[in-house]
Amino acid sequence: MNFLKRLVIDASYSIDGSKSYQKQKRFFYNLLEEDSYKYKKYFDITMIMLIFASIAILIGEVKHDLDESLIYFNSYIISLIFLIEYLLRLWVNSSVSKIIINRYEYDSFIGRDFNLYKALRNVAATKFSYIFSLRAIIDLLAVLPFFHELRLLRIFILFRVFKLFRYTKSFQTLASVLATKKFEFLTLAMFSSIVIFVSSVLIYVMEANNPDSPINTLYEAIYWSVVTISTVGYGDITPITDEGRFVAMLVITAGIAVLAFTTSLFVSAFTEKLDEIREMKTIEDISNIKKFYLICGYEDVAREVAMLLRNQHKDIIVLDEEYSRVENAKKDGFTALHYNPGSIESYHKLNMDISTQVAAILCLRNDDVENVYTALTVRSINKEIFILSLLMNETNRKKLIYAGINEVIYPQELVGMITKELVGQPVAFEAIHELRNEQSSINIDEIIITERILVNCSSIGELDNKRYRVVILGIYKKESGHFYFNPLDDIFLEEGDYLLVIGNRVFIQEFETNLHSKSKI
Amino acid sequence: MKDITALVFGFNNYASEIIDNVIQKYKKVYTYSLDVKDAENEKYKIKNFDLSDEWNEVAELINNNRCIAFCVLEDDAQNIFLTISLRASFKELMIVALATNKESADKLEMAGANKVIPIVKTTADIISNIITKPIATKVLHSILYEESDLKIAQILVEKADDFHGEFPADIDWSRYKGILVLYIMHADMSREFIYSSKAKHNSLINGDILIVTGYERDIQEFEKLIGSRKYVNWGNWSW
Repeated sequence: MNFLKRLVIDASYSIDGSKSYQKQKRFFYNLLEEDSYKYKKYFDITMIMLIFASIAILIGEVKHDLDESLIYFNSYIISLIFLIEYLLRLWVNSSVSKIIINRYEYDSFIGRDFNLYKALRNVAATKFSYIFSLRAIIDLLAVLPFFHELRLLRIFILFRVFKLFRYTKSFQTLASVLATKKFEFLTLAMFSSIVIFVSSVLIYVMEANNPDSPINTLYEAIYWSVVTISTVGYGDITPITDEGRFVAMLVITAGIAVLAFTTSLFVSAFTEKLDEIREMKTIEDISNIKKFYLICGYEDVAREVAMLLRNQHKDIIVLDEEYSRVENAKKDGFTALHYNPGSIESYHKLNMDISTQVAAILCLRNDDVENVYTALTVRSINKEIFILSLLMNETNRKKLIYAGINEVIYPQELVGMITKELVGQPVAFEAIHELRNEQSSINIDEIIITERILVNCSSIGELDNKRYRVVILGIYKKESGHFYFNPLDDIFLEEGDYLLVIGNRVFIQEFETNLHSKSKI
Repeated sequence: MKDITALVFGFNNYASEIIDNVIQKYKKVYTYSLDVKDAENEKYKIKNFDLSDEWNEVAELINNNRCIAFCVLEDDAQNIFLTISLRASFKELMIVALATNKESADKLEMAGANKVIPIVKTTADIISNIITKPIATKVLHSILYEESDLKIAQILVEKADDFHGEFPADIDWSRYKGILVLYIMHADMSREFIYSSKAKHNSLINGDILIVTGYERDIQEFEKLIGSRKYVNWGNWSW
């Protein structure tokens, strides 16, 4: 027995520590359960298509003789795929090795012998709790058409439709919205059941002994009651006695109440959850954006910055803890979320990958305390991300720098410098101002030297910029970190260098296109 | 520049930054505040004023000196009122005013400000530039605010004959070592990029101003060859 225990423990530790095993399990878990996993949607789409194919074959089979291969595909291939999926879900749902290890460590901790029976019982309990969950039952029933020779089991193909709940998020949202009104729906169901039960019995008692009445059985009475209370009223079964008609009047009145109550329940459930649903959708959309700027705080400067970035076709996400400011951002057409940018939890909830998705974080509140708090929060999550912040009071500059902010913008200082230059050299100032203005036709741009450009041009002299009426202001050498103004023709280009060019926006584009496409002959 | 007197109306963080930046460039800087308590400030010498039309003391300064006024009151409405008061009293006075938003900027221009600095927009422009074109912004910033040896200068063309009627876009500026010519400004204050269509069809004449960038020594050499450094009187120049 001890040998068996040791074998189980060793095997558990071995599996738990196996990187390849864990990697495979993580892959299947992500594929089956993790909504943010990029390949899950393809898996879901495939499964949805299999379900519809299966239903289509079932419908076609009713009145037509289908090809044997289709029947085979539906009964065996699809069922087998669903069976594999079911087993995979059962596998990834919980970790047997972890349960055994936990039990072993618990027993060791309190100085007891490892209880293999209890460990296996825990494993069984965990696995069975999954097996008996509604979703798992539906999954299992969807596999049953495998035994299609049993005609009854073929109808279980319809259970495959219920599997759609797994793959379509909107169904899950619908279910979660309705779940919030569980108590109200339960009350409604009880009320309707009582009315149906009482009215069925009453109508049966009143009508069943009358030879002219169409209601002869309790089943017919229940059928009539359900049809009436739902306000459908087919009219195929109607009471003919005065007493029966009196009962009908009561049921009709109750039916109106049930219908009104049901409608109001749906409406109120969705109204209450609408913002949450929208937010969930927004978060989902954010996870699909490759690169965006995160603006923390939406006040006057933030609004202007957001507008400028939008004009340059950059993606922007706004976070603000103040509801009214979030609404303002939304009115301006930006994706804005009512989250506190100074809270780590906000970033976890948003499920964003700061290192890969966020181009820069802009702390643009008109409040140094808030900006420092936000910067520290971001820095605690990511050390590398570029953070820019507004500074409202010069005395706080050091605090912002200590908080890890890369670039501090102090509007008062800007105004001071601007007044100095615009008074001293107004024309030059205007010229530079124009170069920086995205709206002007003459622009300064950065062109990164790529491997492809290097194939075409190896030095400044080969750039052919004059043909495109473009001025090369300088080159920023990546390796040395130096900027070389007005570089000589024989300066070599290297991958990762930046050319600073000035010219008409259109000509710069043409120049850049030429750099990438021209061929040396 | 040293013959100009600066008048700063309003005392706040913006005013102190302006004073610190321009104090070396002007003959004298006078600061006025609406708040009587500001007169006790130890660092700056501040006088009081109100928004009535009594500009006796200021009038004396303006009439006897070349002056430039900075309207930097925090309240936009008061700033506009101040600007219109100054313009109504002093037709020739150069007025630079700060505005928090575009609406105020438009009103300040209507009130007669020669130059309006929209604070929010200017800050937003800088932020946008820093994050989208960091290298270009850094270089332009260092040129404009003289944080490096690179300078930008306005050179008045006085020896246009040397160019023999060449068009600016066709001139091989590289013969002037180390200089990049970016813009040409004509006598009518219109400005164009060196490679614009107009610059390709209008030859350089005396009186044109070239906006060049380069190292100070190279700019000085360039000056000797074609003209002189030009400080533009921007009384008739607008943003």
